Amino acid sequence: MNEKDTSNTSSSNEKNDTPVEKKSLKERSSRGSGKSLKERSSRGSGKSLKERSSRGSSDSSGESSLKSKSSLSSRSSSSRRRGSRKKKPNQIPAGMIVAGLIFLVAILLLNVSPTVSLFWMIGIGFGFILQRGRFCFTASMRDPYLTGSTTLTRAVLIAFAITTVGFAAIKYGYAANGLPMPGMGYVVPISAATIIGSFMFGIGMVIAGGCASGTLMRLGEGFQMQIISLTFFVIGSLWGAHDFGWWKYNVISKGKAIFLPDVFGWMGALTIQLGFIFFLYYVARRYQESN
Amino acid sequence: MNEVVVDCYGEACPIPIVKSEKALADMAVGDLLIVQIDHSCAMKNVPEWAREQGYNVEVEEIDDGEWEVFIEKTK
Repeated sequence: MNEKDTSNTSSSNEKNDTPVEKKSLKERSSRGSGKSLKERSSRGSGKSLKERSSRGSSDSSGESSLKSKSSLSSRSSSSRRRGSRKKKPNQIPAGMIVAGLIFLVAILLLNVSPTVSLFWMIGIGFGFILQRGRFCFTASMRDPYLTGSTTLTRAVLIAFAITTVGFAAIKYGYAANGLPMPGMGYVVPISAATIIGSFMFGIGMVIAGGCASGTLMRLGEGFQMQIISLTFFVIGSLWGAHDFGWWKYNVISKGKAIFLPDVFGWMGALTIQLGFIFFLYYVARRYQESN
Repeated sequence: MNEVVVDCYGEACPIPIVKSEKALADMAVGDLLIVQIDHSCAMKNVPEWAREQGYNVEVEEIDDGEWEVFIEKTK
């Protein structure tokens, strides 16, 4: 019908709107850089870029010969996708039911063993925080190199600082009362094997798209590619467990186990460890600012 | 203004950024890049990276767990 007319008006609209939109975009990006993505997108000010792209698709019908191939195909696919967005049923009732079931299982497990019930709740809480907080050990090690952002690196360092204080308090509590300290089985020898092993783990987790907790969390939220990661994560763990005795006897036990409070005393160990973490935090911050 | 769509469905965290970086390198100033992702971490990662680069960025959830990140190449 009036295809030519509509294309003309839309393209003239685009010319008129562009500078205004650009200004508003710039304002927004400088103003709202600290805000979360959700906030920004739900605020509704996010129109301009999307509008521009959909307007672009309407004018492409008139000027298709001028546009490049990739832009045409992209337009049709993106506008089709946007058009097919369906109204989804409210998920809150389902969430309530799942939350209720989680507590029900916790209560049932309480009859079996309080410890198992506690593990169940801690595990669910840990997964929930990982998923909602986008906390990712892989990204904390990878992003400084890839994007120059050390936000997650610093989040991990804060977590280390908090656990340092918490574990020191627990262990000191036991030691002060003359009781055997819990968790001393994890004071294991360090050697070059630690460095080589952690480097290998780092390569693996970046390729797999997640470390152990990240893989489980992403599989839980439905990212199916992680099934591959999880499969080989299980195979690798079993293989590792199978051969661990040999490695422990021939390699790991050659190193030296160091428990910092034995060397520096409780306050010294705490000061050194926290000081080192804060030093790394400072370096991470400066690194991000320098980019 | 050209539009380029990068299909990153099923790709885990660093891949969308690497693909976007390569796509942006071939684009002219003012072009629009649309990155399609279904990885929740990339949904945080890609916009953050692009904003750090100084581009205009918008995110739209087009379906449950599927996003389109709009990146305008501004420089």
